[in-house]
Amino acid sequence: MQKKHSRMMLAAAGIVVAALATTGCATGAAPADSGEKVTVTFWQQQMEDFQQEWYKKNVDAYNASQDKIEVKLEVVPADVWPQKLATAQASGTAPDITTINYGKIGEGVPNGEYLALDEVLPAASLDDLKPNIREFVTIDGKAYAYPVNVEASKLLYYRTDLVKAAGLDPNSPPKTWDDLIVWAKALTQGNVQGIAEAANATDLAWSTWGLQWNACDHTAIDDDWAEGLATDPCFQELANFYRTLYQDNLMPQSPKTGYSDPAPYINGEVAMMDNGSWAFASLKADAPDVLANTAVAAFPSMSGAPSETTATLGGWALAIDSKTKYAQQAGDFVNWLAADGTERMVDYFTISNFARFTARTSVEEALKGVKGADDPIVQTISNDVVSFAKHEPAYPFDISMAIGTAIETAMKTDTDLGAAFQTADDSINDVIAKQSLAGANPFK
Amino acid sequence: MPLAQQQVLEAAVIARGRKRKRKLREDVPKHLRANRTGYLLIAPMVIILAVFVIWPLLNSFYMSAFEISFYKEPKFVGLQFYLYVLTSAEFWKSIGVGLYYAVLVVPTGMLLALFIATFIKSLSKRAASFLKVTVYLPAVVSSVIASQLFIFIYQDHGVANWLLSLINSGPINWLNDPTTALPSVALPGIWLGFGITTLIMLAGLLDIPDSYYESAQLDGAGYFQRMFYITIPLLKNVLLYLLVTGFTLAIQMLDLPLLMTGGGPLGSTTTPNLYIFNAFRDRTPYATSYSLTASLLLFVVIGAVSLLLFRLIRSDKAVDA
Repeated sequence: MQKKHSRMMLAAAGIVVAALATTGCATGAAPADSGEKVTVTFWQQQMEDFQQEWYKKNVDAYNASQDKIEVKLEVVPADVWPQKLATAQASGTAPDITTINYGKIGEGVPNGEYLALDEVLPAASLDDLKPNIREFVTIDGKAYAYPVNVEASKLLYYRTDLVKAAGLDPNSPPKTWDDLIVWAKALTQGNVQGIAEAANATDLAWSTWGLQWNACDHTAIDDDWAEGLATDPCFQELANFYRTLYQDNLMPQSPKTGYSDPAPYINGEVAMMDNGSWAFASLKADAPDVLANTAVAAFPSMSGAPSETTATLGGWALAIDSKTKYAQQAGDFVNWLAADGTERMVDYFTISNFARFTARTSVEEALKGVKGADDPIVQTISNDVVSFAKHEPAYPFDISMAIGTAIETAMKTDTDLGAAFQTADDSINDVIAKQSLAGANPFK
Repeated sequence: MPLAQQQVLEAAVIARGRKRKRKLREDVPKHLRANRTGYLLIAPMVIILAVFVIWPLLNSFYMSAFEISFYKEPKFVGLQFYLYVLTSAEFWKSIGVGLYYAVLVVPTGMLLALFIATFIKSLSKRAASFLKVTVYLPAVVSSVIASQLFIFIYQDHGVANWLLSLINSGPINWLNDPTTALPSVALPGIWLGFGITTLIMLAGLLDIPDSYYESAQLDGAGYFQRMFYITIPLLKNVLLYLLVTGFTLAIQMLDLPLLMTGGGPLGSTTTPNLYIFNAFRDRTPYATSYSLTASLLLFVVIGAVSLLLFRLIRSDKAVDA
């Protein structure tokens, strides 16, 4: 027995030693201020090809321009981003810099994930931001991410040739939801349907934020994040609009793609499309012949009054991990890439076909003279939509999903809308209770 | 065998047994005992299991009592998340969807496999091997490719609706109607899985002696009588294995609903794994702990149902010829 016991102890000791040894060889990283070359990791969420090209080009240029900091770029697809990032955070190997959606700032900052940039970026860089967009990244007076672009989430794209053939006037696009339904009915002919729209709960959850503001003057919960507001009848009017579009067969019943993919419109399966400003870039790059017959307008509002919110402003920024060992170096790269000078950002907006919009006043000035920036579609988006678009909600996505599910219920079943939104409201209040959201709005 | 001979044989067996027992207890020298070799041989597997399965499982149960954050101190909350998951209507709905999916896929797959396997058994060698390869082909098709294929089949103007139009039946909104969505997703599930089931069923069938069928045929038994009274009882072990593994895999289906419907109209194709996957979307401490706890509870549910299946299908040892 003693021999067996000591053999087991030896085995246990062996395992412990092996475990310690492997954790010991984790990093051989250089300390931050030793003067040695420092490697900073940068994860970019995969987007259109031209974005990957721009980031790679500039990372290589930065690495070549100095020899103190080397930035390692890694492109991560969007559908594995949450899992990959969480795994990296759990094992302490989170990237120093990441691209981040504005919506994630409200969640990440209270959790302590991001570094306040006021210490690592010059004040002039932060002051250059447009005030309304600076608010997207500022919590308690500190900026937690540096904006790269903003995009409008909802626009109405329509085929001028098909509109003329249906006897409608392409120069006066629909202004109200009822007008849009009239247009969609007239344009649904043969194999072509009126409009491509969001058709599942997830897409409905975020693509209707702007219309929620439009119909209700608020979103699904109050400013304090203390109670759900889904039983407000204005939501039912919004749901009725979608119900008509779907049940009257004015939109594809079985969409092949999600809301943000313009493929059905490009393929001529639909005459109109509800999509964000990024679709304009896809059209310009992949389907210039379709673009030649396309006009863009602000999405119709409930009442039809001009200058109303129907879209939210989303977009991308760069954030630095709060546990980074190289805060100054990461800040230096972020500043060089997005905040310093205007050439790189002008290049970015040029190659994205001006379908994205800048958050910096100086870049906006510099873009004025650039060829292509005066495209009438770009001007429409900039003047009629971006100026009135609201910030994306910062509350957990589960709440938006409750509204999205209620709208989907309206579209795909004949359930009474009052009941559907009561279910949504109960769901929202449940989320508020479980996630202790009352008073937790970081942007209040 | 004559009685005397039998008795001598029995006595010899008993004596040998006693000798064997003595040998085990005292006579084998310590340095020849097989114990150490045995332990050394299973050690790599045990260590790997311990490091990659048992330790993480125990650690997960431990961590599920905290609100996990990678940037702040985890907050101890006890069994609160278990309560959150168990009181969540969506979690139970996803379990229901998983069970419904398993009920759609497993029996259908097994029935199909049984008929095809009995058919293959009756073929000549070349035809049989050709059919075996054909039947197994869907199993090597990636579920990602299969889901894309079926999305196109189920389109508004796709093959499925075209076939319906041939019999003048209206187009069906396969993937976007809450009632038809899950059966539509179950179809590729059956298609992908029945190849392996068929081959295992075939192996079990080949174990049944032909003499049983011959004597049954001589007694005048028809096809279905032979199936019910010979084939199925003798395949009980194989059927139990296929039922339990089929069910366990079916309830954990993630790829098909994720790619085809994203959780489906109104959560009608949100299987438990997909529910957990979606719950992780937010990456807040709440979402992280919630999805961990939901995974552990799913483990408990699957274990419970598997146990139930074993009890229900009390399988006796196979009767030898």
